[in-house]
Amino acid sequence: MADAFGTDIPKLLVSGETMDVVKQSAALCLLRLFRTTQEIIPGGEWTSRIIHLLNEQHMGVVTAACSLIEALVKKNPDEYKGCVSLAVSRLSRPWALWLPEARYPPAGPLEGTLWTSTPAPWLSVKLLRLLQHYPPPEDPGVRGRLNECLDTILNKAQEPPKSKKVQHSNAKNAVLFEAISIIIHSDSEPNLLVRGCNQLGQFLSHRETNLRYLALETMCLLATSEFSHEAVKKHQETVINALKTERDVSVRQRAVDLLYAMCDRSNAEEIVQEMLNYLETADYSIREEMVLKVAILAEKYAQDYTWYVDVILNLIRIAGDYVSEEVWYRVIQIVVNREDVQGYAAKTVFEALQAPACHENMVKVGGYILGEFGNLIAGDSRSAPAVQFQLLHSKYHLCSPGTRALLLTTYIKFINLFPEIKTQIQDVLKSNSNLRSSDAELQQRASEYLHLSVITTTDVLATVLEEMPPFTEKESSILAVLKKKSGRMSAQEAQREARVQAREGNAAPAVEKTQTAQMNNSTSADLLGLSTPPANQNNTQSNTGVLVDVLGDLYGGGGSGGGSNTNTHNGTAAPSPASTSGATDNIKKFVCKNNGVLYENDIIQIGIKSEFRQNLGRIGIFYGNKTSMPLQAFCPSVSVGLAQQGKVTVQVKPVEPTIDAGAQVQQLVNCECVEDFTGLPDLIVSFTYANVPQRLALHLPLSINKFFEPTDMNGESFFARWKNLSAPSQEAQKIFKCSGAMETAAIKTKLLGFGMQLLEGIDPNPENFVCAAIIHTRTQQIGCLLRLEPNRQAQMYRLTIRASKESTSGILAELLAEQF
Amino acid sequence: MIKAILVFNNHGKPRLSKFYQYFNEELQQQIIKETFQLVSKRDDNVCNFLEGGSLIGGSDYKLIYRHYATLYFVFCVDSSESELGILDLIQVFVETLDKCFENVCELDLIFHVDKVHYILNELVMGGMVLETNMTEIITRIDDQNKLEKQEAGLAAAPARAVSAVKNMNLPQQIKDIKLPDLPAAIKDLKF
Repeated sequence: MADAFGTDIPKLLVSGETMDVVKQSAALCLLRLFRTTQEIIPGGEWTSRIIHLLNEQHMGVVTAACSLIEALVKKNPDEYKGCVSLAVSRLSRPWALWLPEARYPPAGPLEGTLWTSTPAPWLSVKLLRLLQHYPPPEDPGVRGRLNECLDTILNKAQEPPKSKKVQHSNAKNAVLFEAISIIIHSDSEPNLLVRGCNQLGQFLSHRETNLRYLALETMCLLATSEFSHEAVKKHQETVINALKTERDVSVRQRAVDLLYAMCDRSNAEEIVQEMLNYLETADYSIREEMVLKVAILAEKYAQDYTWYVDVILNLIRIAGDYVSEEVWYRVIQIVVNREDVQGYAAKTVFEALQAPACHENMVKVGGYILGEFGNLIAGDSRSAPAVQFQLLHSKYHLCSPGTRALLLTTYIKFINLFPEIKTQIQDVLKSNSNLRSSDAELQQRASEYLHLSVITTTDVLATVLEEMPPFTEKESSILAVLKKKSGRMSAQEAQREARVQAREGNAAPAVEKTQTAQMNNSTSADLLGLSTPPANQNNTQSNTGVLVDVLGDLYGGGGSGGGSNTNTHNGTAAPSPASTSGATDNIKKFVCKNNGVLYENDIIQIGIKSEFRQNLGRIGIFYGNKTSMPLQAFCPSVSVGLAQQGKVTVQVKPVEPTIDAGAQVQQLVNCECVEDFTGLPDLIVSFTYANVPQRLALHLPLSINKFFEPTDMNGESFFARWKNLSAPSQEAQKIFKCSGAMETAAIKTKLLGFGMQLLEGIDPNPENFVCAAIIHTRTQQIGCLLRLEPNRQAQMYRLTIRASKESTSGILAELLAEQF
Repeated sequence: MIKAILVFNNHGKPRLSKFYQYFNEELQQQIIKETFQLVSKRDDNVCNFLEGGSLIGGSDYKLIYRHYATLYFVFCVDSSESELGILDLIQVFVETLDKCFENVCELDLIFHVDKVHYILNELVMGGMVLETNMTEIITRIDDQNKLEKQEAGLAAAPARAVSAVKNMNLPQQIKDIKLPDLPAAIKDLKF
């Protein structure tokens, strides 16, 4: 249906005779069609005509056109750049001018007062949104006018409302918020930014919940701008207050977001403290996110790591259930990496563990830290080794198997740290509940640790149970989690996140995200695999290794035994059909590559390495004997077929008639392209193996495209040349279904392998590919241009090749079409 | 873009649902149910915007709603719409309904579903806001009503013709035909 209407509706839209109402509908309809089929919008001159709809008189048309242009801009920002100045001029028209046709008194001329302060809020909102897709205009005139407009809007907001009705101010405020977000977006006018911030500050204590919500949301963005960051901080009190007193969860959530955004070194401690206080009473739905945010802030702005440790332990104490693994992994990483806090951390967790009820996550952190650094506090009689051990063990029975496993590791580490409690620990390890635990992991750990402690000398023990080496510092893994969680947040939010990072001076590219994800995995492996004795690991490894070896031998033996069978079988039915089909498949691939395996069976492997320069080429053919017997009477021969007679010359170097068992010989073929040719030269390989003659009929991967020389050119000269080659005989076109997936990267590789220069950014449709190259022959040079248009819906390609020599384009199209 | 407009009462009974993106029947019901659960548990004095709702759009999805007496008006939109703008649109919609039905109530939505849809069609088309001026909308609706009435007149014309024919009472009319008194006329003839 989109195709059917694709031509008529744009006509209706820009025609001068169409009625306004119809135009408006046409714009909306076109937008709808555009959303279903992106190609529907005609390019070229239509672009400017669509943009000029912004100049229309009828408000409805302009509003609708605005929506349409916004959608178009999202797809193709450069093409519609012209709309910026038009939109600005539309915005800056004297407001009063609009009044006669002020189509928007939202509630009509109520009580006889025409509602005039914002003539067309819908339009203004749309225009402001549209402008947010572009950086601030470069032209100082346009920019000045835009700033003037924004200024007017901010001024208007200051005026007392003419009507008490909430609905009236809604429209006005809608414009105001859009204006502020465009100010934030352009991020270049400190004056406006601060004014916007003050305006939002007023809204923060407004009686309307909606306004408070939006003010908090917008302020989050504002906080990321360096000009207004200080201004935002002035409202810290109000925001914290909002956090405490607000009745609406979603508003509180925004308050948390804002606190997170406005936090910096100077106010971090205060904000984190407030957030911790609030966490105790926080709504369940936002706790997890808050925990993450607190953890990140604490880490990011910690000047003193003892504070950080305190915060995280508090976090675990208050909202243990919501502390994800990443958070406590992170605290451990930091403690391990920083010597100065290790003693303090050990002391704090020890104290925290003394609470009668403590969260399992606390036990985990406690177990880990005491296991590593318990010795640092062992001097104190209140936290003597035995006391530490008793304390941890008192929690043992209440924990899940995962934590128990971790605790067992702590115990074995204790054996190393404090030899005096060795027997006590061994008793625990020996106890039935561990040694015969139903959980395999626990059982394994208990028995391994027990034997480790009994058998090995203290030296070995000390080496095995050494302190963990510092973790490699990378981006905090928690941040990645937060990002993942905030997937549900709006795009705005993501943008804000990016800006926060930009401000912090460590703009994290997307790659880093995956890195951290990987790191997450590795740390989890580190921490849970903890210190399973390495010796043991080696043992199992070598065990399985042996097993594999044995199997390998078994298979290998069987293979070679059976191999000879199949070989003889093959031998009798000389080139078996199966093998040749495999060969043809391979030969196809060689159109787009120069090196690789051409043919392989049980006896022989034939590889190709080739290079080409201008009209000359050199192909190395490698014959590898895969068997344990020599190949006799080995004689490969290359011959040009009838089709290539006189068009290609090949010179073949002779090879030794014997290939020893397991050996490889190389044969060089020099070739020259005299003129364009079709087909491939033949390669016949004959030899005797185990007294059975064998003959392989193959082809030499030498196609015309090998003599391509990639040619770079700009769009202009490409199109000029394309037009020059317009004779129908010079063009070859093929339309065909694709056989595999249509991946841009794969297509590019193929085109590059085909030998042509890929010209990017020339075709107006980015989906299409254009290439250019020259074929060198002895007699002449043939210029070739290519255009490949994938159609993803239909899974079809259209390939058009134009070449300066008539016969060549057809040959090339034939060759390339087979590749997709 | 507006993805859906839902109106339901305090008990979650849908009174009007209009989807501007295709969802199958079952999913539509689920969306209504989910939206009701999200919206109904909120106090009246909290804000009118709500993020969440898993069924439409995912992350890029907001609910903007308003509660009037027994009815919830919920607009499901993506991030390209201004929150306050949509809130205003709801107001326009409701006020228009009020004008057209004179003190609109839930029953009006039930018995005049067609009219409600007409009004909505004037307001929003294909998920895009079409017209926000109330007087304009009301004029159009009035025009439509007039047209409807005229057409009702046209449609009734054949029926009127039939009934007119039926009521004619032919025998009586034949009797009523006055013929000139022939004998007297003859008498008057003078030869």
